[in-house]
Order: sequence, then C-alpha cells, then structure tokens
Amino acid sequence: MKFTCNTKDIATAVGAASKIVNAHTTVPILSNVLLSTEDGRIVVRATDLELTLEHAFTAEIAEPGSVTIPAKLFGSYLANLPAGTLELTGTPTRAGVKCERSNYDFHALPADEYPPLPSASHGQKFNLSARRFRDGVNATIFAASGEEARGAVLMGTLLEVEGDSLTMVATDGYRLAKWQTTLENGISGSERYIVPSRALAEAARNLGSAETISISALGAQNNQLMLSAGSTSIVVRLVDGQYPNYGQVIPAKFDRSITANTQALAGSLRRAELVAGDRASMVKIAVANQTLIVTASSDVSGSAYEELEVEQTGEDLTIAFNARYLIEILNHVEGERTVLEFLGPLSPAAIRPLQGAEGAQQLYVLMPLRQ
Amino acid sequence: MIAHFDVDAFYAGVAVRDDPSLRGKPVAIAGSGRRAVVLTASYEARPFGVRSAIPLYRALQACPHLVVVPPNMQAYRNASREIFAVLARRGHPVESLSLDEAFVDFGECALGEAIELAKAMRAEIYAATQLTVSAGVASGKMVAKILSDACKPNGLKGLAPGDEAAFLAPLPVGCLWGVGPKTQARLRLCGIETIGDVAKLGDAELRVAFGSWGAEVRDLARGIDRRDVRPERETKSISTEETFEYDVREVGVLVDLLRVQAKEIAAKLAREGLSARSIGIKLKRADFSTLVRQTNLTEPTADPARIFRAAMVCLRRAGVRGVPVRLLGTRAAALAARGSEQLPLL
Repeated sequence: MKFTCNTKDIATAVGAASKIVNAHTTVPILSNVLLSTEDGRIVVRATDLELTLEHAFTAEIAEPGSVTIPAKLFGSYLANLPAGTLELTGTPTRAGVKCERSNYDFHALPADEYPPLPSASHGQKFNLSARRFRDGVNATIFAASGEEARGAVLMGTLLEVEGDSLTMVATDGYRLAKWQTTLENGISGSERYIVPSRALAEAARNLGSAETISISALGAQNNQLMLSAGSTSIVVRLVDGQYPNYGQVIPAKFDRSITANTQALAGSLRRAELVAGDRASMVKIAVANQTLIVTASSDVSGSAYEELEVEQTGEDLTIAFNARYLIEILNHVEGERTVLEFLGPLSPAAIRPLQGAEGAQQLYVLMPLRQ
Repeated sequence: MIAHFDVDAFYAGVAVRDDPSLRGKPVAIAGSGRRAVVLTASYEARPFGVRSAIPLYRALQACPHLVVVPPNMQAYRNASREIFAVLARRGHPVESLSLDEAFVDFGECALGEAIELAKAMRAEIYAATQLTVSAGVASGKMVAKILSDACKPNGLKGLAPGDEAAFLAPLPVGCLWGVGPKTQARLRLCGIETIGDVAKLGDAELRVAFGSWGAEVRDLARGIDRRDVRPERETKSISTEETFEYDVREVGVLVDLLRVQAKEIAAKLAREGLSARSIGIKLKRADFSTLVRQTNLTEPTADPARIFRAAMVCLRRAGVRGVPVRLLGTRAAALAARGSEQLPLL
C-alpha cells in the first residue's frame, strides 16, 4: 500500500485507536493498529477483541492495501510530527514513513493476520443526538457493577430500544440507574443489548462531539453492536446473558417524599461522609417537620450533624444509606432540585430530578443500609 | 479494673475433657520423639514433679503411671476460639497472651462488679468448653496475673485498689513483671529479696539495680501499673491453604478445594465478626513458582458462595489449565467489622 496524507489527520486517528490497545496483550498483532485503504480514505483500526475502534481520514491513495504497525510506538511518533504531509508505504513486514526530511522504517506484522470485523450484516439501526447519548452514558454507567465475581451481565449497561424509545439501565445489585429518551429514528419492535460499560464510555468519548450517533447490531447472531458517528465507529462484543428484570425492583408507588436542593444535599452528605469512616460510610437521614437531618459518626473521627430545609410529604422517616452511593447518584442528577421518595427504612428509595434535562428522564433506585 | 484469665492446665484439660477416662489420672501432654518434653501436666501429675518443659523420660521416671497424650493443636485452637469469643462478648478490650491466657479491661468499675463479671465469664467459658479457668482481678495487669496464678486451679481472686503495695510487699522479687531468674539472683546479691524491698529503694540504688528501667519497676512494686490492656493487632487478612500430597493437574480438584476453602474462610470471618472486600488465591506450581490473583467486591462479604465465586474469578485469571499445582490457598483481605449491612436490590 502507499498513500499520502495530512500528519494531523493520521495522528488523530492513530492516537484514538491506540487508546483501545491493551498494553498487556500476549497476542503480538493486537499491539498493532491496522491501516487499510478504502474509497479514498484510510481506515485505522485497533481492537482488544472485545472492543474495536475504527477511525477514517481522507488520503491520496497511490496503491491500495493494508499494513499493521505497533500502536503505541507509531502513535507517539505521529504525535511528535510537525504539521505537514506524510507518505506511508506498507508491506507485510514493514511500514516506511517519509515526512519532510525524515525517514522512518517501522516493523510491521502481516495485515491478513489482523482479527476481522464481524460480517457486515446489520440489525436495525437507530439514531440519537450525540450529546443526548453522552448524557445517557454519563447518567447510567457509573452504577454498573465493577465486580467481576458478580458476572459480566451486571458489569454491562442495558440498552433497551422499543419503537422510538431508548432506555439505558445499569445496576450493581445495590443501586440502579435508569435513563430514558426518545429517539430521532427508532426501530420497529424492540431490542435489548447488554453492552460492556467500558465500550459505552469509549463511545461517549470518541463519538460524543459528533452531531448524531447511529447504533445497530452487527454479526450473524446480532452479538456485536456498532456505534458510529462521522468517520469513527466502535464495534463491541455484547454481553451474552439475561439482564435482571429491573422493572421489578423499581417500586410502583412511594408513600412519602422529600424535595431538596441537589447541591445542598450532596454537600452535606459529602461533609458527613468524612466522619462516617470507612465502615460502609453510613449516614443517617431523618426527615420531620419539613427538615432533613443528616448524621454520621465513627469512633475514630467524631460525629456530624447537618440540617437542611426540604419539602416533605407523607410521614416522618429515618433511613440509613451508604453515603458514597447516595452522593454518586446526586452527582449525576441533572436538576437543581432532587426528589427522594421512600417506602420505609428497609425499602428501596427512588431519587430523581424534580425537573430533569429536556428530552430525557432520569431515575435512580438505592437500597438503604440495615443498621 | 483489669482481669487476667488463664485456663487451668490447658492442653491437659482439653485431653481430659475429650477422654473422660483420663479424669483423676496424672496426664502429660507430650510429643512422641526421643527428645520429647512435657508441654502441660495435669494437676494430678504435678505432685510427682511433672511440670511443663521437663523431658518426657524424666517425667516418666518420676511418675511411671503417667498417661502421655499427644498434642492436638486443632482441638486447642478450637477451644481457644470459644474462650476468646466469651471474653470479647461484652465488648471489653481483650489482650491475648497465648491460646489460653488473656487480659480483659473492664474499665472503671468497683471490685465487686468486676469480680461478678469475671465469675460470669468463667462460668460461660466452662459452659462452652468444659474447661476451668482461673482469674485474678485488680487495678493493674501485674497484680491481676499474680492473683490468677495464686488461686489455680479453678479459682478467682480480687484485690481492692489501694491494697496493691501491701499485697505485693512480701512476695519474692521474681514475681515482678520482667524479673527473671537471672535478675533475681543478681538482686539477691544486692540484698533485694522481696517486692517490698524494691518499693523502698531510693533513686540511686534503683539505677544501680535496674538501670534505666528502675523507675518503672519501682512503680510496679508499689502497685502502680499503668500499662493498658492492648487489644490484639487488627486482623489484616484471613487465609487458608493446602499443599497437595501429589501435584494436581485437574482443574476440578482445584475448584473443589476452593469451595471447601471458601466455607472455611467464611466460618473464620463469621467467628471474628468480620467481612472481606477482597478475595484472592495463592497457587504454587510444581516448579515452586508462585502466583497470586485477587479480586475486589463491591460490598464486603462473609458469604461462602460469594467468596467461592470471587476465588473462581481468580482461578480463571490465573490460567492454570493442565499446569501441575502443588499448593492452593484462598485469602480474604480488606477486612472490616461487620456493621451495617447494605441491603441488596437484586
């Protein structure tokens, strides 16, 4: 292969792709990025076998073909190039790069050994604005499990598409995040995908600045998901398994609630958590007379007491939470005021913005601590 | 008030408990080797001069009908665990000195109250283990220990605060904390025979006799004992491991062992009232190379099924298919006292 391109274009593409490369891989070719010519463009691909990222840029192609080059080395080299043009010549064993008066020769590995993408048989495609997608990812994936021992399903985030409605759900078994929006282009019928949360984070990072993101299943068994925007696409292997029936754990009705200023509540919890110590960071929340009292204590640090004015409906209540969980949820609530709904000290509580971001609905469910 | 608890002839007590036919007979716990020494002698054996640390052959010469029982460490550990569970039950700080000996700090309370507490604990230990315990109760550690030693077996003695100096004065100086036979011999040359003699020493004489340690020793001799009961160092991790008789290649055998170890770890955690946030495995290959893997949990656990699942994640990551393994262990770390429990949503 042989092409000429802008140094900045290729540096951006290889830079993005090399972030996917697993530095500790034992399969040599997975340390490389694949560069292939395609309709007047160069497609740069990197994969760790679970996640594949493709980034394309235009180039002047003299000779079609492909080459694989060590990602970190090539990426660092490109990052240090001045603006200008570059000529790359690739063979199965080497990649020669000419840029102004410099000449580099990188060891390459045969491109035909690079893992192929799944067949291009696409499932139904749906679209949504990239900003909205980023909001959804941000609002949910933090609640996914990080515990390998609980299995890959809970480490993933559920994408549920029904007509023109998209719901993202993540839970680690103690708390649950649910985010819902209406799609610009929906699908007929419904689909459920369990996506590794890391892939969604990568997609939000790499595609988040585009206008629109298209998402569709890929592969003969629809076992991969492709997320693409502009010249970048991410293909991820979906988690095989049954996502828990999350609807069952979200109470249909609550009998008491409070509405509080999101920042003020998060602030008192953050301060109280400091003295709660590491024993499950327990904070107690007592609600009575339109006032919320946050208390925490530990043998080591002392005790905390915070009072907050809230709007209260229903009976008084005292409930204990892991402060970390509650703070993390409040950090993601998109709204000046937050509604917390309760059923009792040992029942799930719901947390949602009083008035959320336009076009999306956020809901969190958190289990309390048994004291 | 501080109490000192000491099980009477611990090893022998366990042996008699587990084999009632030994009751009333002179019993010695000892190994079987040529150089075996007596580890513990029952009170029935002691009049014959059979004591711990004397060679077994001498013990048998002195007491030909001595019943020799091999040690059973597992039984001692089990009994010890039950004893310490009783001592810690009411939340007092407990400092263990050995498997069968401990200080317990009752905090500020009257002697009578402390004696009642000690009495209740002795009864609970007996109920749990059928072992008798002697106890001494005093304002300081040293006097408490002297008292419990003095009232063995199966006794309980207390000393009111303020009476310490008078109580200690006639006792031989060897009863003082830290004064061993060698120091005692040297002190005798200086004319110091009793604890009372030490209490009366002036600063200069004190320095000659005890060096920089003098002031502390004199305080002790006067019944002033400021040393705190120091609870045991926090348990950092709990682990168990097993070396296979023959190297193991079958993953199934490793999995079975992990399941057993998970139960063992869970039981240990439960006994200590702890839960773990990190589970790991240790694996030694036939070539002695060692490999450790660990995984973290979202919420701490003491549940055997969760510990096993986490250990399995580690085993998968270790990738030992077909590799001969000589040792496998499970370890629970990032321990915390089990307090409030995060309720599950799923």
